[in-house]
Amino acid sequence: MAATFGEMGIRQIQRGLAAREFSAAEVARATLERIASADERVHAFLEVTEQLALDAAARVDAAAAEGRLADLGPLAGVPVGYKDNMNLTGTHTTCSSNMLRDYVSPYTATCVQRTLDAGAIPVGKLNMDEFAFGSSTETSAFGPTRNPWDLGRVPGGSSGGSAAAVAAGLVPVTLGSDTGGSIRQPGSFCGIVAVKPTYGVVSRYGVVAFGSSLDQVGPFARSVEDAALTLGALAGRDELDCTSQPCDTDFAASLAEGARGMRVGIVPAFMQAEGLTAEVRAKVEEAAAALEAAGAQIVEVDLPHAQAAMSAYYVLGPCEAFSNLARFDSVRYGYCDPGHADLGTQYEASREHGFGPEARRRIMLGSYLLSAGVYDTYYYPAQQVRTLITRDYLDAFEKVDVILAPVAPRTAFEFGEIGDPTEMYLSDMFTISINIAGNGGMSMPVGLGADTGLPVGVQLIAPPFRDENMLRAAAALEQTFGTAPVAPAFADGKAGE
Amino acid sequence: MTHHLTETDVRGIAEYTRIGLTAEEVVSMTADLNAIIDSLAPITEYDLEGVEPTFHPIGSLSNVMRDDVERGSFTQQTALSNAPRQQDGSFLIPSILGEGGDR
Repeated sequence: MAATFGEMGIRQIQRGLAAREFSAAEVARATLERIASADERVHAFLEVTEQLALDAAARVDAAAAEGRLADLGPLAGVPVGYKDNMNLTGTHTTCSSNMLRDYVSPYTATCVQRTLDAGAIPVGKLNMDEFAFGSSTETSAFGPTRNPWDLGRVPGGSSGGSAAAVAAGLVPVTLGSDTGGSIRQPGSFCGIVAVKPTYGVVSRYGVVAFGSSLDQVGPFARSVEDAALTLGALAGRDELDCTSQPCDTDFAASLAEGARGMRVGIVPAFMQAEGLTAEVRAKVEEAAAALEAAGAQIVEVDLPHAQAAMSAYYVLGPCEAFSNLARFDSVRYGYCDPGHADLGTQYEASREHGFGPEARRRIMLGSYLLSAGVYDTYYYPAQQVRTLITRDYLDAFEKVDVILAPVAPRTAFEFGEIGDPTEMYLSDMFTISINIAGNGGMSMPVGLGADTGLPVGVQLIAPPFRDENMLRAAAALEQTFGTAPVAPAFADGKAGE
Repeated sequence: MTHHLTETDVRGIAEYTRIGLTAEEVVSMTADLNAIIDSLAPITEYDLEGVEPTFHPIGSLSNVMRDDVERGSFTQQTALSNAPRQQDGSFLIPSILGEGGDR
């Protein structure tokens, strides 16, 4: 069977459209059929937006008929899926929670709108950990997503559906969000390119908020070029998100500069960290050697306060989540437990049954940490620690252009293997400090681990608003390790049999 | 494990955050929260004397007023479109005054 459109890259699809080898309507229909046949085993999609996809494809075909295909934008004719915390008018936006099971978006998030403005074909909404609280997609109220590389294992999380859909070759590009590692860790577990840009590069308007000082939106793809093209479409100032910044970087064009002359930092404390598996450490070392061979210089750097990031995050994240999730009041939108004669019991029953266990834990933890007296013990020091971590990164980036590190300490784990919440939190030990400091980080697939045979990603970390640095280094790694393959059971149009 | 929180504390937090918990859930939530708070100990062990806090990664933000130009917003119908209960163009809630009202 020929390669599916989900297995093609952006340029390949656009060349085919330009040469009239196929139409955007054919791309849309084939992608919808592919999802219908293969997603039953993966469960990446919560909703498939058939009509929106066909309508968008018709617009692309109309433009192509008038010879305006090149004017459409960098995602013209490209099927794109969205994490289900992103509003798209007329679709359900559930955050994988019973709280929002019936919620229908009355507006469209800026990041989604920008892909549509760039010519994308919106094919659906993707599964996630409930309200993005998790690292495995097991906390979804609608059932977990399975890792296309091994259906008995988790895809990572919280953007597990976004990662699995690309790894299974259902779509070439998806969007996710990352508060502590929720783009990069599933990117590593599913063996695809996964980019968390610097905080401020992409607008969060219309993305359901979790940790407002930490959340950032970014793309998943199977090539660095596709990720860079998508990031280019997303990036830039949006007056509806006051944290978004102007951006005139051409990320895709920067890839040609390669890694020659780049200074690449390695953090010895990360490489010796307790819990880091030998196969992941070996892959980071392989990546360092590949970058060196590509003309980069490897330099040791220290991030002395990075080990404090985990506890700072599990203070700041729940505090911000507590505040953000106060809006679910069972009155304006969201689940309302029926039959209550007074508002107080309606609130309590609605939030008891609407939120899952991890959401309830984080809300209650945040409330406790912000209470009088406790605030000075945890919350204020966590914000001071954030200053130290940010300084560490700025100091390190005086010496290097990009830092190379593990993404997750191990490859994908089995369903139910990690039940203890604090043990689950360790999944993010190498990713969290980047959200705390706010700079960019991405997961770049570098093949399969020697022990488990499962995908391993390495993390590339960029100075703030120099996201092109990590993409350039990633492009150099891609020269050695190749573009990310579709998971074998789903390659060449197979449906995971 | 340190007992940062008792079950009574947890019932109080549940009431404050408007989350109903069964008696069994109070027990497991108390254990979970105490374990998580234990894991936060490193944050209390740094010498942070004189270190300014960073509340936000983009430090240069300031409040700005946009130009006072009229622009579109949700219609009443759109704003109500996701309301679980509505009546006469308004959100409908149980009575909050008088008998059977809120605490």
